[in-house]
Amino acid sequence: MNWNLRRTAVLLATTTAMLAAAPAWAQKVLQLPIRTDGPKSLDPVVGSTTYDNMACAQMYETLLVYKYSDPYTLEPLLLAEMPTSEDNGKTWRFRLKDGVFFHDDECFPGGKGRQVVTEDVFYSLKRIFDKNNELKNEWLLKDTIEGLDKYAAEQNAAIDAGGDFDYDGQVSGFRKIDDYEFEIVLQQPVYRFLYVLAMFQTSIVPREAVEYYGDRFAFNPVGTGPFVLDEWIPKKSLTADANPNYHEVLYPAEDEWSRDDRRNRLHRAAGQAVPFVDRIEFTMFVEDQPMWLRFQSGDIGLTQVPAEYFEQAFDGRTKRLLPETRQRGVRHEIVPLLDFIFRGFNMEDELLGGYTPEKRALRQAIHLAIDLDEFSETFYQGNTIQYDGPIPPRLQGHPEGGDGPVSYRGPNLQLARQKLAEAGYPDGEGLPPIKFYTSRGGNNAEQVEMMKRQLAEVNINLQPELVDFSTLIEFTNNKKAPMFGFAWSSDYPDAENNLALFYSPNESPGSNHYNYKRPEFDALYEQILTMEPSPERTAIYEQMRDMVIEDTPYIGSMARTRYYLINEWLLNAKPTERYYSWFKFLDVDDSKR
Amino acid sequence: MWSYVVRRLLYNIPVYLGIILLVMASLRVNDPVTAFLGKNATEESYLAIQQNFGLDRPFIVQYFDRVWNIVTFDFSATSWEQKRPIGELVADAVPATAMITVPALVITAGISILIGLVCSFFRGRWIDKTLMLLAVLGMSISFLVYIIVGQYFFGYQFGGDGGILPFDIEGYDVRLSKLSFWLGSPFEAIGTWMRFCGLPVLISVIVAMGYDTRFYRAVMVEETGRDYITTARAKGATSTKIMFVHMLKNAMIPIITRVMISLPFLIVGSILLEVFFSIPGMGRTLIGAINAKDFPVVEYMSALFAAVVILTVILTDVLYAVVDPRVRLS
Repeated sequence: MNWNLRRTAVLLATTTAMLAAAPAWAQKVLQLPIRTDGPKSLDPVVGSTTYDNMACAQMYETLLVYKYSDPYTLEPLLLAEMPTSEDNGKTWRFRLKDGVFFHDDECFPGGKGRQVVTEDVFYSLKRIFDKNNELKNEWLLKDTIEGLDKYAAEQNAAIDAGGDFDYDGQVSGFRKIDDYEFEIVLQQPVYRFLYVLAMFQTSIVPREAVEYYGDRFAFNPVGTGPFVLDEWIPKKSLTADANPNYHEVLYPAEDEWSRDDRRNRLHRAAGQAVPFVDRIEFTMFVEDQPMWLRFQSGDIGLTQVPAEYFEQAFDGRTKRLLPETRQRGVRHEIVPLLDFIFRGFNMEDELLGGYTPEKRALRQAIHLAIDLDEFSETFYQGNTIQYDGPIPPRLQGHPEGGDGPVSYRGPNLQLARQKLAEAGYPDGEGLPPIKFYTSRGGNNAEQVEMMKRQLAEVNINLQPELVDFSTLIEFTNNKKAPMFGFAWSSDYPDAENNLALFYSPNESPGSNHYNYKRPEFDALYEQILTMEPSPERTAIYEQMRDMVIEDTPYIGSMARTRYYLINEWLLNAKPTERYYSWFKFLDVDDSKR
Repeated sequence: MWSYVVRRLLYNIPVYLGIILLVMASLRVNDPVTAFLGKNATEESYLAIQQNFGLDRPFIVQYFDRVWNIVTFDFSATSWEQKRPIGELVADAVPATAMITVPALVITAGISILIGLVCSFFRGRWIDKTLMLLAVLGMSISFLVYIIVGQYFFGYQFGGDGGILPFDIEGYDVRLSKLSFWLGSPFEAIGTWMRFCGLPVLISVIVAMGYDTRFYRAVMVEETGRDYITTARAKGATSTKIMFVHMLKNAMIPIITRVMISLPFLIVGSILLEVFFSIPGMGRTLIGAINAKDFPVVEYMSALFAAVVILTVILTDVLYAVVDPRVRLS
């Protein structure tokens, strides 16, 4: 072989190798963190955590979803248009979007995913009520759809008798018009119903997959989502490839974005079909340091800013990005959370509970001795909003400026002492130590010390019990914790979700861990359930809020503001924690890695 | 010897059953069901989960059911939290843990014995003092500090893609858990192992060496005063021969004890290392299960650990007899 021939052969071989490798180079891969050990299940019906949501939302889809440009407003996802009602919200009519197919999977004949039809919606909603699925999420639709509770009770009784849950059974509230149109009849108009249809637990799943995979369905997700699961290594990583048959979902139009968003060039992909990346890779981080270092290395696209690293990226006083961070092309987004962080009282506790003026005065005294601002500055870098009542900022019923007409937010030690005296414990005399249960995670040990010191200033002796989170839940669910530290993140952007925490039928083990019981409050809650947003409804929200503030079943409230950092190579990122199917809008620019 | 082994195994049956009973009873002091309820639990969901978990059955039924499954090696019970068969969880986690613990044990034991020999040979001289000072220093620093500093400098500053060190900040390649990967592409396997497991192993070795070196030095120092060493010297044996043939052989009993005690921990792994380096091993699985009140996983893993401890103790006795002909098993 002469020299030229050899050179040509080498060139050809190299070119062939490069061409063969080209698809791998061209592939756009998006790497993201999950800040815990990740999801517990990929079956939406048994999921309940943020991380279950984060994972499921890539593979599954709901009928409705929040807008990427405005995560407080719903829009159709698997529907052709928003559902309509002609009888004030009792009957809702739905039309499925044409051309939505399930992922290709061996559970389907020929391995080809079929189109989503009406029966899939009914089947998916029925699954929530199947006791084999642990009924974790039945509260979402309990007492909501006509005939569904009765049907579920019959089917679950059949399971107890050794039979099966018959998914072919009829539910009067599910009315099929044709394969793509249907109606859902509610027991009474319930405003939150549409929000529930945007929650990941109501994602649409194909019956074939559930039956084909059985117990392994949680590891073999088959949905309509923008990504198809490649591999899930629990507690380590989850990878998914772009769904080649994904239905047409377009990036929000330019005029939907605010001026700030446009400055961040979030409108650059307006009108384009998503997803933009070929593959998405999640890594679970139980500890913050490896996640932080991975972000600094540019290996992951974005990260929440852990409290202990805040001043490595931001000026602690001005909360602005440090110049050296900005120079690396990193930008940030501030995400206000619909948080209600509180320390609750068990209203059935002999010492702290009760509704007499003395009992109320004791709880108010404790509340008045606590300085939430000091907590915010010390433990949250001041990145929280303190407010009165249980309704977080941005929701109707939240008091203007955070200050309600009634307030026991401290520190007001003089008034605290006065209230203690009213409660029958002048200067704290005769007041037994108060047991306070909280989880031992994060900086809770330090927070408890601060709380102890603040209360000691009015001679209240706090006895903290730091337990693991599951024990904390056990103690609150069993009404064994006189006082407890918790937080509630709103499931949907309506204060009704927060006010439900004080509705007596929701008492422990339900979400009313305070075991707060006021018939007047319950009556108002039942009234607002059916009301559409209106000044009248907001007025009732405010009335309920002030009632709760006066009774003081908790010390609060705080809402966190989350800071996100975004590497230069990650495009279109506008993080939100309202929902998690927005990863499909993200894009990567590998030239900037 | 075999009759001794069989007898010891039989003696340990009640101990083993007692361990399982103790673990199951102590776990059930708390109610696990509430930990698995959703945000807005109802009485129905409580009962449904209790029934699904089999906790509605009497304790004694649960106990015998579990014991039967364990003694018949039936690991098909499902994790409450992860909804996976426990056999699968263990099969995934053990190799990942072993990727760290086995090399760490071998390297630590090898280096520590060598340093122990050197220190005892040069007892009281500068080399002994320096090595012991380093050992004490190594022991005095928290494991967590090694991890955080190691991860920052060796993984982030000098490691990663394009770094001068072959280590990554965190992660694990599941191919490492497969024998086919090691046999099929041994060089790639070693490189991958070095990338993800090299740093955790290095940290593990540094921390453990402090303790082990001091222990082995003490053992060796005791041996240097024995008559057989003087005899060997009188007969003109070289220092190397005295150290590596005579001393080492006679110090084998405490060495075996030390190494064998560590064996059960090869399976349990290091929780801190696995958490910080995102290694899906046994330590992380166990601590996750304890925190989540995932009783089946805790029970099976405790049973597995207890079995390994019992077998290790018996094996240690057998090894004593193998290395020291004066020991008779009876």
